[in-house]
Amino acid sequence: MSRILFSTILLALFVSSVALAGSDPILKRQQLMEDTRDAAKVIGGMLKKQLPFDAEAAMAAFKVWKITATEAGDLFPDGSGTGHDTEAKVTIWTDRDGFNEKIADFNTSVDAAIAAKPDSLEALNAAAGPVFKTCKGCHEGYRVEKKD
Amino acid sequence: MKRLAVSLGLIAVAMVLLLLITRPTGLPAGTLPQHSVDVSNGERLFNAGGCASCHLSTNDHSEPAILGGGLEMDTPFGVFRVPNISPHPSNGIGSWTMLDFVSAMQLGVSPDGRHYYPAFPYTSYSRMQIEDLMDLKIYLDTLPVAPDKSGDHALKFPFNIRMGLGLWKLVNLDPAFVTTVPADDAQLVRGRYLVEGLGHCGECHTARNWTGGLDHKRWLSGAPNPDGEGKVPDITSGKSGLDEWTQSDIDYYLESGFTPDFDTVGGSMVKVQENMARLPAEDRAAIAAYLKNLPGSPGSSF
Repeated sequence: MSRILFSTILLALFVSSVALAGSDPILKRQQLMEDTRDAAKVIGGMLKKQLPFDAEAAMAAFKVWKITATEAGDLFPDGSGTGHDTEAKVTIWTDRDGFNEKIADFNTSVDAAIAAKPDSLEALNAAAGPVFKTCKGCHEGYRVEKKD
Repeated sequence: MKRLAVSLGLIAVAMVLLLLITRPTGLPAGTLPQHSVDVSNGERLFNAGGCASCHLSTNDHSEPAILGGGLEMDTPFGVFRVPNISPHPSNGIGSWTMLDFVSAMQLGVSPDGRHYYPAFPYTSYSRMQIEDLMDLKIYLDTLPVAPDKSGDHALKFPFNIRMGLGLWKLVNLDPAFVTTVPADDAQLVRGRYLVEGLGHCGECHTARNWTGGLDHKRWLSGAPNPDGEGKVPDITSGKSGLDEWTQSDIDYYLESGFTPDFDTVGGSMVKVQENMARLPAEDRAAIAAYLKNLPGSPGSSF
């Protein structure tokens, strides 16, 4: 039951993201980050033992990350550094190679997590850990925190 | 006319006296207690203090840490260049005595008798126990030697006059703890020691007054981001702070880098969090307990 629920929620999130964001790259990437975080909540909830371990729900969350990893690089075109309270830091454009490298790290770690097909909480921890590290890796140098 | 001359003369005399009173003096010999040093406690303190976050050789991530410095901090006062604190005998601190090190950490005075700028947060470190500082020094001595020569700061007038720092210290250097906690609550006492002392959390999370000193009335209530854009958050337990976080949420954040909402740590806090993750669990729990126990400040604008 919970498995179907998680998968449905994640799918619904993705569909809503596409519908909501339209073609504005800032809105689109903000929605993508929201989805990414919601997927992290599923994985993190399991790791914190607030949610029961569920291999399929975990895989669904990994696939949401994969969408982000695939699309993120194209969603920061020149000139999209201001508006909509974007927290994108100017370093994305002044150090594009470094930024692209971070996205590539994210992509590689997500691929490895998907390939690992974790079937236990321990395996999930081992698969998700490296992905989580890449979240921080990018937010360290390429995001500004503006919210209160 | 004569009165003016006398006034000017008096002001000059007062200035000279003040500078004399506030001239940089290290701790007197004999200050150090008998203490058998503990290098593993030194390593724990090194992580709690996040020394590597600033002093690590630029773009070097080897283990153990190579503390060759080189980071440039671009501030409204000018550019500070972070020095080499590896055990190199001339370019690092390898030739420092224990007393030199303790004087630097507690009084902000260099072995050759100059004031340090408070970009080196001795205002926080002054709250540390001498025994802990001695352990920290012993641990630093075990780290690899880096040959890098430290660059000079490039500060604007009048901040480039080091003597003036004596006056600044007179106002802003106080080894007393900022907050009171029940003396019999070992966890809060430890949390306060880590947060207000070595962890030097206040240096970024507390707004500064016009002298550039920390405004204790707004303790840990957030501040403008010294790196430029954005802001450093309020980490009191007040409404604009960690009100909705539980103590274990704070603990988990320090360990994993995730907020309760599964956003991640970002900016310069990433390195701080990664150091915190290396601490024993009881130290993270103590920090969380201290923050959760800290009421929000009414005048907070962040």
